[in-house]
Amino acid sequence: MKKIACLISLCAMAVSAQEKTNPFSVFGGLESNSTWYMNDPGLNVVHPDPAIRSNNYLFVNGKYKGWTAGIQVESYEDKALLNYNPRYIDTDVATYYVQYKNDMIDITAGYFYEQFGSGLLLRSWEDRQLGINNALRGGRIVFTPWNWLQIKGLYGRQRTGFTVADSDIYGTDLELGLGDIFGFTTTELSIGGSYVGRDQKVLTIPDPNFRDRTDAYAARINFGHGGFYASGEYDYKSDDAVVEKQDQVRNNFVKPGQALLVNMGYTKKGFGIDGTFRRLENMSFYSEREAAKNAFNDRIINYIPGLTKQQHYNLANIYVYQAQPGVAMPDYTVLKAGEIGGQVDIFYNFKKGSKLGGKHGTKIALNYSEWHALSGDYYLPAKDYNVDFLAFGKKYFSEYNVEIDKRWTDRWHTMFAYIHQYNNLKLVQETYDIVNADIVAAETTIKFGKSRSIRVVGEHIWADADKKNWAAGTVEFNVNPKLSFYTNDMWNYGNDDPDARNHYYNFGTAFRYKSIRAALNYGRQRGGLVCVGGVCRFVPESSGLSLSVNAAF
Amino acid sequence: MKIFHVLLLFVGFSALAQKELPNLKLNSLEGHTLSLKNDFTEQDKIYIFSFWATWCTPCIQELDELNSLQDEWKKDVNFEIVAVSTDDARTQKRVKPLINGKGWEYNVLLDTNQDFKRALSIVNIPYTIVVKNQKIVHIQNGYVPGSENELLAKLKTL
Repeated sequence: MKKIACLISLCAMAVSAQEKTNPFSVFGGLESNSTWYMNDPGLNVVHPDPAIRSNNYLFVNGKYKGWTAGIQVESYEDKALLNYNPRYIDTDVATYYVQYKNDMIDITAGYFYEQFGSGLLLRSWEDRQLGINNALRGGRIVFTPWNWLQIKGLYGRQRTGFTVADSDIYGTDLELGLGDIFGFTTTELSIGGSYVGRDQKVLTIPDPNFRDRTDAYAARINFGHGGFYASGEYDYKSDDAVVEKQDQVRNNFVKPGQALLVNMGYTKKGFGIDGTFRRLENMSFYSEREAAKNAFNDRIINYIPGLTKQQHYNLANIYVYQAQPGVAMPDYTVLKAGEIGGQVDIFYNFKKGSKLGGKHGTKIALNYSEWHALSGDYYLPAKDYNVDFLAFGKKYFSEYNVEIDKRWTDRWHTMFAYIHQYNNLKLVQETYDIVNADIVAAETTIKFGKSRSIRVVGEHIWADADKKNWAAGTVEFNVNPKLSFYTNDMWNYGNDDPDARNHYYNFGTAFRYKSIRAALNYGRQRGGLVCVGGVCRFVPESSGLSLSVNAAF
Repeated sequence: MKIFHVLLLFVGFSALAQKELPNLKLNSLEGHTLSLKNDFTEQDKIYIFSFWATWCTPCIQELDELNSLQDEWKKDVNFEIVAVSTDDARTQKRVKPLINGKGWEYNVLLDTNQDFKRALSIVNIPYTIVVKNQKIVHIQNGYVPGSENELLAKLKTL
């Protein structure tokens, strides 16, 4: 009944939207991603059943003065695309909300998205490519009485599939703009604090050594003056059962968690440097304890991205780093209670007319990142640990890379990248192998005619373990701003197993018109991690024909 | 599936509606809070909101192109480019050094939890909206080298 009522009200709004004098408006968007999976004897994959699968999202909102209401319907027919959360099945209403907003107050009932500070304690967001939608269903109030003060309060249950998790989430956040209070004009200074509580009844353990409710607190500061800026956040999570593996909540392994994030940088015209340090200790946080470390990022409360550079070349995305917030002590060779490390970025622009800048300028970007396990005492088989605050344990991952962007003429542009990666897969992914990889990529774009262009990319990776060497290439032809064709291939020619020296080829076309984008692709998907914003989803190898369409209205 | 079809009908209904910017406040790179509703209101001035992220290569190419062309274009049209960073907490700290490192002269808005992006139902970036007198008058979904010429031609007709 609820759904029908929602639809009727939206219908009313939609109809009235046609009369332009009316203060009603309707807006939203549609996204559809479908794949027809096929058998591929070359890759040794058999198509799943059903073979044609599709993820569809329709988001419709109506607005009247300060009021907005919306509904998102999702449809996974027949079944979701491969390796999406199995809780996404059939077609149903996924989220809905009603919101009232003016300059001082913003009240939402229904599903909402929120982030406190950097998200280390709480972030609810949507990423359809990753299958993440951890919106909270409940209520939220954001109160901004003055420019320098914002207070948020929320309560909700977290979305999982088409239902909500079996726990209550409470949160409050305060942001104070000290710079505005003191009337600073050239200095930015703000502080903030948050509380997040997760209350989940412990049903499976008769006499638990931990409380139903876990409390988490954060304090943060943000400073900027001239070209210099710095920020910091500290988070603490109270005693709770450590869950090393999904569904294994243990009564005799109870620890608190904490996180420290520090960032600083300096920039001036043509130059920028930025450094980040982060230490995480037992910071996995899920709306249901049992959900910890599930493969679909389902029921995740906080946002803990891998802090490395997001590479855009295909071969640089084989050995990506995934952040290690949690505890895992399966045996003496893998002892993890979190991570410690950081990264540095440098951007520099050689001016037009200078020796290295040439007539059209040259841009360079450098990045270095390194992540380690926490060093300390780990006790097995009793399961306990005592880690040092600032000591680096075994190395998980490191990477250095340089990217040079050079424009030769108005119509000719090239990019070059070199990347070196070290990835201790045994520790990070709890599989095997340590990989050292060197990646080189070069690309060039040439514009011709009124608005045609061609882009060619070549890549190579030399890896000393796992799947070893690959070569890859892409050719993209943009007929005009509306229509493109492309083809690419990744060839794992260096694989030790002759039967695994596969080509992962793709052909496709994309069409764009105003807010509409449609793309058709035929080819093979390499198995591995697909990452967006430092959060990853594993996808299996597959072969098939895909169609994606999206539009806003 | 039925609900889906019924809702699809609304897409048709709403096609005629002229869209306004959502009523949101976003922080600028300097830490000031700007209101989409109240701070981009100069009569007849064209505002180009370009959605990008530090990790999105085509976005950066587009902003590089626009940066080198905007002075030339401004001779014909009164407009301003606003670069809306959809970087989340992972990469947001990279925005400032990158902007300066590139030597871009844009107003930058930080859409950290992607509220602006979500309100416009943006699926992929780069994504550009053109706003005049508080109405969205043009949308460009995606970017390929050469799109900027089409965009300029469009600006001249608005």
